[in-house]
Amino acid sequence: MTTFIDYLLGGFSSGAVIALFALALVLVWRSTRIVNFAQVGQAMFTTFIALAVQVATGSWILALLAGLVAGAILGLIVYALVLRPVQRLDTSGSIIATFGVLISLQALASMIWGGDPKSFAPPVANNGLEIGGRIWPISWYDVLVYAVTAVLVVALTLLFTRTSLGLSMRASAFNPEVAKLSGIRVNRMLAFGWALAGVVGAVAGVLIAPTASLSPNSFDILLIFAFTAAVVGGLDSLIGAVAFGVGTGLVLALVTGYGEAGDAPIVVLILLAITLVVRPGGAFGRGKSRAV
Amino acid sequence: MLEVKQLSVSFGAVRALDSVSLVVPRGEVTAVIGANGAGKSTLMRTLAGLVKPVSGTAELDGVVVTGRSPEDIVRSGMALVPEGRSTIPELTVEENLHLGGLWRPSAERKATSAEIYEMFPVLAERRRMRSDTLSGGERQQLAIGRALMCDPTCLLLDEPSLGLAPLIVTQILQLVSQLAREKNLAVLLVEQNAVTALRVATTGIIMNLGNVVRVGTAEEIAADDELRDAYLGS
Repeated sequence: MTTFIDYLLGGFSSGAVIALFALALVLVWRSTRIVNFAQVGQAMFTTFIALAVQVATGSWILALLAGLVAGAILGLIVYALVLRPVQRLDTSGSIIATFGVLISLQALASMIWGGDPKSFAPPVANNGLEIGGRIWPISWYDVLVYAVTAVLVVALTLLFTRTSLGLSMRASAFNPEVAKLSGIRVNRMLAFGWALAGVVGAVAGVLIAPTASLSPNSFDILLIFAFTAAVVGGLDSLIGAVAFGVGTGLVLALVTGYGEAGDAPIVVLILLAITLVVRPGGAFGRGKSRAV
Repeated sequence: MLEVKQLSVSFGAVRALDSVSLVVPRGEVTAVIGANGAGKSTLMRTLAGLVKPVSGTAELDGVVVTGRSPEDIVRSGMALVPEGRSTIPELTVEENLHLGGLWRPSAERKATSAEIYEMFPVLAERRRMRSDTLSGGERQQLAIGRALMCDPTCLLLDEPSLGLAPLIVTQILQLVSQLAREKNLAVLLVEQNAVTALRVATTGIIMNLGNVVRVGTAEEIAADDELRDAYLGS
């Protein structure tokens, strides 16, 4: 039983980060109806920038802030230089373009920082906590990750449902023409959506880097997990992305714990395939209930 | 007042609007009628900034608005209710309504929305519901309400009667003419449903193949059987 609880606790930690990446994918989807496969590449790149700041200043907070700013700017650059010109063609063109961005960012990162894995020091201890004479697979750092994830989800939900900016963004995504005719500066909203997704991706990157190593390809597998979580959650739903992001983390932990670590991605992909067949709109997808 | 001067639009080799000139005075409804393909919708979309003209201008109260973006044209006081169901189904009634004035200070926006809810009580009752739960006529009211949220001086209505029951059409068009009078709006109404449109309009304009072929009082045009046979096919 305690092993089971250990697996679950471990799953929550990786699930929180998957949830953040899934959130970033949902944000881009909501603003431009594109799945941004470059998201993990952008996060990797901004995490390298954050790492450089941490090495230079010794401050984790400064590193995080640098990551956020870099994430927003990189999101804007990718949107303005790649997506806006390509978007006029068609959707599949845009999606292929995001793969191009991913590969370019990885190549660029290898050239600048090299391919060797780097370590990123956590701001608080990442050792298992000892409670009641037993060491649990949860650390103060995990608690920080949960807290940041929770705060981001609540803040984003409030932004979308309670503010004029959020309403403008949703309207621009659902029907750009009607949004323009209502006086909303649609291109600005789309760009803002990409910047916001870049920020969320940067948070995810900076948070996950201390628990693993950082290399140009280290987030690739997360793309698959986050994509699964976002699609199963309905692509439009912030809550869905988070719920299934954490869920994916739990599935991974249980499969890895009771089976072979190598089986975990396959199990996740099977879940994705089943969802696409049974409920193409996703569990929290549109049509069933209002997307939050 | 909206003044359109020699406005021309081309789609490739096709000339969709050929030097169209017309005047839409404030406080009344001006109806543009004509068969399918006459260029009515193109005229409206061009005025709203969705289509760029090759030549000619549109002036709103003396200010040239052609060449501006749709967002800027709305902000300078000309709002289009586009053809078809232009409400966003995923948003609530209230969200759809407020969309039209998000760029205005929130106090002004709330005052305008209160006015619109008074005008369309059905929308007030359903403000928290998704807009796709509304009937066709209610959705058209919502679309008109959204256009009014920007506090326009000129309202462009593209086929508001499309797909609606005759009784609802009459109600909506009467409301439009009442709006024009009470709020001193310049209303440009595009309709295929000529008889109903001319009943609420002061001036009638007939378009055919991208040209204005006739301008007259609504009574004159409604009474002219030859015109009707030649251009309206009804």
